[in-house]
Amino acid sequence: MPTSDGLLKLPPSDEELVKLTLDNKSYFGDIVDRYEAKLKRYITRLGVRNPDDQLDVLQEIFLKVYRNLNGFDTSLKFSSWIYRIAHNEAVSWYRKRNVRPEGHLIADSEEIISFLGSKDEGADVVFDKDINSKVLNEALHNIDEKYREALILRFFEHKEYEEISDILKIPVGSVGTLLHRGKKQLQSVLNQAKIRI
Amino acid sequence: MNKIENQKCLKDCLYDRIEDEAVCPRPRLFFHSRECLVWFLWLISVLIGSIAVAVSLFVVMHRQYDFYEATHDNFLTFLVDYLPYLWFFVFIAMIGVAIYNLRHTARGYRYSLGTILLSSLVLSFAGGSALQLFGVGYKIDDILGNHMNNYLSQEKIEKNMWQSPTEGRLLGRQSYSTVQPTTTIIFKDTTGRGWTLDVRELNDKEKRILASGQEVKILGKCLDEDRGSFYACGVFPVMMDKDMPMKDRSHEREIFIERLYEYKNRVKTAIYATTTEFDKADKVINERHCEDMKPVLKMP
Repeated sequence: MPTSDGLLKLPPSDEELVKLTLDNKSYFGDIVDRYEAKLKRYITRLGVRNPDDQLDVLQEIFLKVYRNLNGFDTSLKFSSWIYRIAHNEAVSWYRKRNVRPEGHLIADSEEIISFLGSKDEGADVVFDKDINSKVLNEALHNIDEKYREALILRFFEHKEYEEISDILKIPVGSVGTLLHRGKKQLQSVLNQAKIRI
Repeated sequence: MNKIENQKCLKDCLYDRIEDEAVCPRPRLFFHSRECLVWFLWLISVLIGSIAVAVSLFVVMHRQYDFYEATHDNFLTFLVDYLPYLWFFVFIAMIGVAIYNLRHTARGYRYSLGTILLSSLVLSFAGGSALQLFGVGYKIDDILGNHMNNYLSQEKIEKNMWQSPTEGRLLGRQSYSTVQPTTTIIFKDTTGRGWTLDVRELNDKEKRILASGQEVKILGKCLDEDRGSFYACGVFPVMMDKDMPMKDRSHEREIFIERLYEYKNRVKTAIYATTTEFDKADKVINERHCEDMKPVLKMP
């Protein structure tokens, strides 16, 4: 949007939006607009699949965000902070209901390629690009929760190690370990399903 | 419901709930206070951990083990009886609390468990050593010992160990002595019971310690418990004094061991004497009791 002096005005950063919201709550809608789709996709991957449940969980997430705006640590990225709240809320949602998460991890072919082609942490896994996404989904849900969460954040939400560390509240070094072990476990599960990886 | 409607619904729902439930951002003070509380709890846990280290250091430096040959069969049984389990437990518990709190600070999760554990251990040991330097370990042990019946302070342990006449140990002070030189004195133990103490085998230094009227530990043999007759073989100062330097404690141990070997070696002399001067040696053996004290028999 051009300003009066002819320069393009950049939209406010997340951190600026937080400050603006604390002064005027109408700005909170901008935060909701910016993160609703991302968080909805994320909680779906974590296991909240029913649209009504998603709406409930999203409401709780954003209300928590609003309540805790003053607790936002500016040394973190806002996205890491809001993802952490979303993560905690989704986990507590399916724990409250005592259900096993059955998320839609893989939505499109781009994500499959991103995930399957990755060789992070030197995990010497090579995936067939035509791997059946349904089988992969099942395999992902058969690995430990802590590994699955790290893999989702890394390969489906495209988060950096530091961001994953901030979201899951674990040391950066542990993120690498989780991803490495997660891939190994996934490889083992897929091997059992006679899928070459 | 399509995407736009859904989005609208979420935003509207949120604004409605914010209005209806009067939701407002928690004040910054709330988050600062919570953070301060976590750090405060961490500090308290490190402080209590340091106190546990200080008392444990005091226990080690107090060196009741200097006389373990007199009180126990071997060093292992002494350790089992004597280790400050309560303080070990407190220390481990406080390390756990410190780790928990540190990990729950705003950025605590960024550090590995190993780093947090190590930092808590180092801080507790450094704090404990500093506290012990100022005698806090002794003070805490003493205060707890005086105010808690069930707490076994070093003073109580020392008393329990040494107030055992049938085992050849007495704790107390001289209450009466005849004009020097004398072979018997009246001794009052910590329970208030009087004993007739045969001191003929004590050396001059030991007799001086006794005569000073200070509380002492007597190693010897109970000749007749009913009549309160005790044969003294060694006198050692009570080591409760926290200011007693380690060098002096080492010296006390040297004297104690020397004493035990002196009696042990004397048995051989006596046996040798028996074969050469039968009548004289027989008399000597009858008069002396220190050679067959338990700790002497245990010496290698």
